[in-house]
Amino acid sequence: MDKILGLITKEIHGFNKTLDTPINLDKGKESVLFGRDSNLQSIDFVSLIASIEQAVSDEYGKELSLVDARAMSQKNSPFRTVGSLAEYINEILKED
Amino acid sequence: MYIDFFLDRFRAKPNQEAMIWQDKIYTYGEFLAYVENDVATLRQKISGGKVVGLEADFSPRAVSLLLALIGLNCIIVPLTANLGEKRKEYKETARVEIVISVKDDDTYTIQETGKKNSYELIDQLRHKNHPGLIIFTSGSTGKGKAAVHDFLPLLEKFKTERKPSRMIAFLLFDHISGINTALYAFAGKCLLTVKTRSADAVCQAIERYKVNILPVSPSFLNLILLSESYKKYDMSSLKLVTYGTEPMLKSSLLRFCEIFPNVKIRQMYGLSETGIICAKSKSSDSLWIKIGGEDIKTRVMDGLLEIKTNTVMLGYLNAPSPFTEDGWFKTEDEVLVDGEYYRILGRRSEMINVGGQKVFPVEVESVIQEMEGVEDVSVSGEANQMLGNVVKARVKLTANETASDFKNRMRTFCKGKLEAYKIPQKVELVDHLMIGERLKKMRR
Repeated sequence: MDKILGLITKEIHGFNKTLDTPINLDKGKESVLFGRDSNLQSIDFVSLIASIEQAVSDEYGKELSLVDARAMSQKNSPFRTVGSLAEYINEILKED
Repeated sequence: MYIDFFLDRFRAKPNQEAMIWQDKIYTYGEFLAYVENDVATLRQKISGGKVVGLEADFSPRAVSLLLALIGLNCIIVPLTANLGEKRKEYKETARVEIVISVKDDDTYTIQETGKKNSYELIDQLRHKNHPGLIIFTSGSTGKGKAAVHDFLPLLEKFKTERKPSRMIAFLLFDHISGINTALYAFAGKCLLTVKTRSADAVCQAIERYKVNILPVSPSFLNLILLSESYKKYDMSSLKLVTYGTEPMLKSSLLRFCEIFPNVKIRQMYGLSETGIICAKSKSSDSLWIKIGGEDIKTRVMDGLLEIKTNTVMLGYLNAPSPFTEDGWFKTEDEVLVDGEYYRILGRRSEMINVGGQKVFPVEVESVIQEMEGVEDVSVSGEANQMLGNVVKARVKLTANETASDFKNRMRTFCKGKLEAYKIPQKVELVDHLMIGERLKKMRR
């Protein structure tokens, strides 16, 4: 989990340099990513997720698609916080 | 014969140069002998109205055979070797009845295929005793569409004799612009053929033979800029560069104008279906063009360009009609309009719909191409659950950089130059140039 969290945080750090309003990472796992209370535009969100997908698949050698029907149908969006995204990725990676 | 006006010209100016092939100059006098010979030989074996595949590239024999087949009212299907596997598919689709193959030593063979072509469009030409031309659209996706032309309207403009100048036969012989180039050899211009269509070979030929006109594809202009071959050779003879067949990157055009301030750069507008149409660029460094002239009408419907002209094809052999009920040809090119000027944005089929917003690959490529360390870039769409589609850039870099680092650098660079939704959300690094066999950008 920590490794995945590290990957996500690293991608957001790099990505933040390209944003007018960077994602605030002060709250660690609880840092808000996308949804209520987030300043992230949907187009930037999609771009960030693509970067994270790339980073995860480079590290674990497995192609994954994070924004799919399954993610959309979760009771709680996996994209709420940095921590919930890490958990969601962890779940997908454990599956096979 | 419908080619008599060419032959009269040959007789009147036997010493004028028509072609330089493998370092030898061929004059109109020599061409007259070639064509008369070929007409006499072919007449014994091929009757008018036959559908003839001409497997050849630019050579004296190839262009002579082209002329002879027009003279005999045949329907010609030009096919070059670089079609590879597609050549067989095209011959099947066009129901080629006879194949003429021109060999490397410029001799040729004739072979009957045993097939019979009885397409309605072909029969129309036969009834009128008109020569025809079948050109395949080099669609990047799916099967090539076979566009059938009546050859007579296409010959019309060559009745005017042009000022002598040397022109490189760069565009492919089986492309509508290649056939256009070939016929220019008989309208006063001298055609110079090159063995390979590499940037270096072309620039070298320009120096060696003092070439004046270079008709190319925008992708090839990029190759010339990237290879810097123009620095190795004396390019001062060059007067005019024409480009067409795909949209030009604004950044490349400006760069080219800067390097060649004395060269006129002209955009052409032509499709396999319409023939080459006169266009006039607003200026050398402008992407805005005025299309048309007396016999060409244009209009824009739903953002797409439609054309009415006498050089338009009769129809496709293997695809639904692209004509409107009132006879306009639907180009499928998305355009912007400014008074009487158009700017071609790209094929609607290549347009990427990102959350309801339109993105054209060429606009994005043009910005990314300006970045430090980018050698080549190709942009396409990729399905996405959230936005319908996202923009994906495949990039070849000159130095080592991770995809993630490059992507962040690219996002910063593109900010303010492109709307947010146009900045590629996905980036893939590749290790090859993305220019295909047909010297056009590959986007899939």
